Parts: sequence; C-alpha cells; structure tokens
Amino acid sequence: MWVAYDDRVKAAVFSALGEPNRLHIVDLLRTNSFAVGEIAETVGIRQPQVSKHLKVLAESGIVSVEPRARQRIYHLQAEPFDQIARWVDSFERLWESRLDSLAGYLQTNETEEGQS
Amino acid sequence: VISELLGKKELHFERLYAAPVDAVWRAWTEADRLRAWWGPDKTTVADCEIDLHLGGRLYVVTVASEAMGKYRGTRWPMEGTFTRIDELQRLTYDARSWTEGSEATETIHHTNDLTLTDNGETTSLTLHVAITEIGPGLKAKLAVFGMRWGYKSQLAALKKHLSGPA
Repeated sequence: MWVAYDDRVKAAVFSALGEPNRLHIVDLLRTNSFAVGEIAETVGIRQPQVSKHLKVLAESGIVSVEPRARQRIYHLQAEPFDQIARWVDSFERLWESRLDSLAGYLQTNETEEGQS
Repeated sequence: VISELLGKKELHFERLYAAPVDAVWRAWTEADRLRAWWGPDKTTVADCEIDLHLGGRLYVVTVASEAMGKYRGTRWPMEGTFTRIDELQRLTYDARSWTEGSEATETIHHTNDLTLTDNGETTSLTLHVAITEIGPGLKAKLAVFGMRWGYKSQLAALKKHLSGPA
C-alpha cells in the first residue's frame, strides 16, 4: 500500500503547516531565502510573531537557519515535502497495481465462466 | 499567492480490458468479485461491503500479508459513499483511505470517477481520482507542494497497457 514514514516528522510537518501565517511564510521562502525582518515585512506580521513561527517551522525540519553577519537567514528544506510527496505518490502506484490486478482477475474469471 | 497552493492532486488512469462491460462492472460493484482483485499483491481483503445505491456505502479493508515483512498485519481501510451510479457506464464515489492506527496523520480524502465504455469484446476503463485533502485537514496543499518539488505522474504505464492485449 502506501509508504509509511516517521510519524513524528509527519505530525510535526502537518501541524506546522496547519497555521495560515506559517503557510504564508513557507510560501515566501519557496521564492528565496530571507532574514526575519524581511519575512515580517513581506508577510505583514510583527517580527516577534514571525520568530515564533520560524521556530516551529525549524523544529519540524521545514526551514533551516544560517547565521550571516548579524542576521539569521532562513531557507526552506525540501526533505519534509519530498517525504509527503512520496507518500502521496505511493497512493498513485497503488492504483496502478490495482488496475493491473483487475486485468488478471477478469482474464481468469472469463476463462472460468466460459468453461462452466 | 497562497491560493496557488490550493488545488487538487488529480490522478488519471486508462485501461483496456479484454472482457465485456458487464464483467468489468460486476468486478467493481459486487463484493465477492471486488475482493478477488482489489489487492494489490501481498495483501488480502479482510472486509468488503458494497451497498450499491446512491448514498450507499463502499467499505473495503485491505490487510498486509506475511510477505510484506514489517508491514504484515497493517490494515488499510477505505470508506466511501456512492454519488453517481449509471449501470454499466459510470460509478462515482467520495471516499477516504487511511492506515489503521494512524488515521489522524495518514488519511487521504479522494473522489473517484469510473467510466466504462463497451467495445463489445473489450471494455475501456477510465478512472479519475482527485485527492481533495490529506493529513489532518490540509486540503491538498501538500499534494500540490509535492508536485512542485518534483512530483511526477506515472502515465508511462498507460501507453504500455493500452497498446497491449489488456
């Protein structure tokens, strides 16, 4: 069936992305890496709030932080999204396999019904 | 910009089966027949209920067999409601699939649209699955993310199956 992946990672990622401001921050970080101040300005929420959201995102592995001069630059990490993509992908493979299985069943069934 | 993240993950499948349309229809709509192929490999169907009328329930529980190693015994239920039934032609149902015990994080909500075309000796099947929501109420945002991060549809298999004798 579909792939399993680490429950803690998954729960943390879903939880982190379940908040509209955090999703907005993630969306912004898809375009480039930014410092806290730049994120606050673009997203339109106060810097202390942005810092709290970034902390949650960092804890769930969605963003990483890089100290640069006196700033902290935030980058989006691909891995959590890749994991979820693999999970959803496995749902697609399941259907491929299931429809192939139907072909086998129909062939067997036709033969049996033809003989009876 | 956020709205770009909203949307559905669409899966589309096409097959040509060397069987008459009523055989394919019955394989989808009669519990005893569906059990025989719903699989896939290395799984068994532990439970299957089909109440074939509008608003009726479709419930299938697939269980991992010994051959699946560390997954053995894992149960994957799917529960759906029929939203359209045109006998021998079209079947639609809204459903959710999950891993038993991890329902909160491993649930996929999906709509399913099955169309059969009677070609006499053969039957063409198209199945359209739209993933509408995943995990705890994230309306397919992550599925769309997945596409952006290198999601690849696997329609290559399609050609192979359509060109083959089913």
